[in-house]
Amino acid sequence: MKKILRWVGIIGGPLVVIAFLAFLYLIPPFYIVPPEEFIKQDAAQGPPMDQIKDPVQRMLAERGRYIVLRTDCSGCHTVAGSQGPKWDEYLAGGAKGIYGENHLETYCRNLTPDPTTGLARWTDEQVLRLLRSGVLPEGRPSYWRRMPWTFTSRWTAEDRYVVLTYLRHLTPVYHKIPNPRQGEAPPDSNIIEMAYGGDYAGHKAGD
Amino acid sequence: MAFSQKSSWAILSVLLMGLESPSIRAGGGDSQAVSPTPLGKSIYDAKCSSCHGVDGKGNGNAAALLSPRPRDFADGTYEFRTTESGSIPTDEDLTRTIQNGLHGTAMSDWDPFIKGDSLRAVVEYIKSFSPRFKTEKPKIVHFGPAVRSSRSSIASGKRIYQKLQCAACHGVDGMGKDATATEFTDDWGHDIKPANLTEPWTFRGGSTAKDIYTRFRTGLDGTPMPSYKGSATDREMWDLANYVVSMARKPVWAMNEQELKAFYDELDKANAQNALDRGKYLVETMGCGYCHTPVRKNGSIVEDLKYAGGQRWDLYPFGNYVSYNLTSDKETGLGGWTDEQLAKLLTTGMRRDGSRMIPYPMPWAAYAALKESDLKALILYLRSLPPIYNKIPPPEKENFFSFMWGKFRMLILKTDFPLTVYSGNAGTTKDNTVSALTAPVHTYTQEKQP
Repeated sequence: MKKILRWVGIIGGPLVVIAFLAFLYLIPPFYIVPPEEFIKQDAAQGPPMDQIKDPVQRMLAERGRYIVLRTDCSGCHTVAGSQGPKWDEYLAGGAKGIYGENHLETYCRNLTPDPTTGLARWTDEQVLRLLRSGVLPEGRPSYWRRMPWTFTSRWTAEDRYVVLTYLRHLTPVYHKIPNPRQGEAPPDSNIIEMAYGGDYAGHKAGD
Repeated sequence: MAFSQKSSWAILSVLLMGLESPSIRAGGGDSQAVSPTPLGKSIYDAKCSSCHGVDGKGNGNAAALLSPRPRDFADGTYEFRTTESGSIPTDEDLTRTIQNGLHGTAMSDWDPFIKGDSLRAVVEYIKSFSPRFKTEKPKIVHFGPAVRSSRSSIASGKRIYQKLQCAACHGVDGMGKDATATEFTDDWGHDIKPANLTEPWTFRGGSTAKDIYTRFRTGLDGTPMPSYKGSATDREMWDLANYVVSMARKPVWAMNEQELKAFYDELDKANAQNALDRGKYLVETMGCGYCHTPVRKNGSIVEDLKYAGGQRWDLYPFGNYVSYNLTSDKETGLGGWTDEQLAKLLTTGMRRDGSRMIPYPMPWAAYAALKESDLKALILYLRSLPPIYNKIPPPEKENFFSFMWGKFRMLILKTDFPLTVYSGNAGTTKDNTVSALTAPVHTYTQEKQP
């Protein structure tokens, strides 16, 4: 009996290790799904448009959705976990980044209309001002490498408006975004920014 | 600490000697005279400099990506004035622009954030960039009496629109139809577009008849839009303003269901017809330039290499990626790619050699959402980018052990890894130098960085 166990150990142990290493090597980066599936998941995000009853709102939101998808807002505003984007926190922000010569550490904002942590706290005017001019509600300009408002500023005013309409119809997610703070200087002085994919947001009141 | 000690010594010695020495007293007087500036400068540096530049030359770190460009204050030339063509603006003109912003541009309405003394200080500071404000006085325009809009005024305005040949630039329909001049630059050589007269919410100087009349009367200095003083009477300019107001269409936020449907059907048709314009709009708004242009440490882009790639992104533990050259250069850019190859890469992440890209940092998965016509338009515009030679190194894979260890930490230990972005150009330009660039840019050898 002992002999059998020892043989199992001698053969099985390395096999398990090899299998684990092979798994680690072969598993695709970030996500376990193949690229085709990833595209489908990416394109399927956001609330179903037929939920919106008002036809005018629906038409505007659909237009906005197309712009949000092709501009890849979710590339930053959805947490990219180690195994793929957290789709249930779609556009709810929470990723960390260190940007600029002053190494400010900031967190992607929650774009969902959550009343306490999301964009519901911003007026339409404030959202449109940020998209057009990169000016935050507190009157501070946003650094374009952090929030690339230089590109949303080139949208037509009507495109900015339909994007706002779409964001107002997203599923609200409680995702408390930490305040910006002074970050550490990157290890190499030629590094201009470091973005992290993890989720740094609070998920419950009090987090 | 050392500094404050030094400065307190300096103050003490000035106090001790200042009573005797008239020259030092004069120096003290000067510093008092400029004492309002620090407030203006501190607000300007915090709120204005990222577009207009610390030195007021319109060259802040975001400037090169904006159209129209932020104003260069060094010249004293301003578009939105109540003064004669060629004159400097009044303080009220500058104040109004800061308070209301300029619609259709990135210039924000600063009214909620800059008020009272701060506003006056910023205006003074902006004026200090141009010596003209010291030597010249604004030549204020005396505006003629307003003409109220009426059917006859609008009809007369329509005739004046023809007489003054507004259609040459703005088109017979106010949207550029049959315009004979289609390419415009301002006095600084930057591309600008004539206003679309049917979209008053994009009128930078305001959309009331009085605002529009004021533009006719004063002209937009620094642009091809002249002052019509002399070529039209006050009355005619008012009629023309009333006509322009009457050209307005409804914006989408005021449309009902049928109007919206008709509007967007028409827009989609127009976009398919003007594929090159549509492609330009897509490339400029989807943020291709965010990665596919080298960036200096201060965050400004290297304009000479716009869309020529070279921005380096390290994605541990997968490897180092340098953004590709999107210009039409045959050897180093997209010149050697077929449309099908490009479309395949953009929508499926498959390279020419059949290998797959990971979904970061190039977000090809998002571009899978592009409509067929938009994808075509985007590729058409990329084809039109003037060729720039910038040889991009292939992706550099992490070595096996580092890769395995990194993946173990990422998937099992759940460590969060940074996506690291470097300043400068990691590609190789033709002469292998960056001396042509306006500021030093760090270049990388292809060896792996520690």
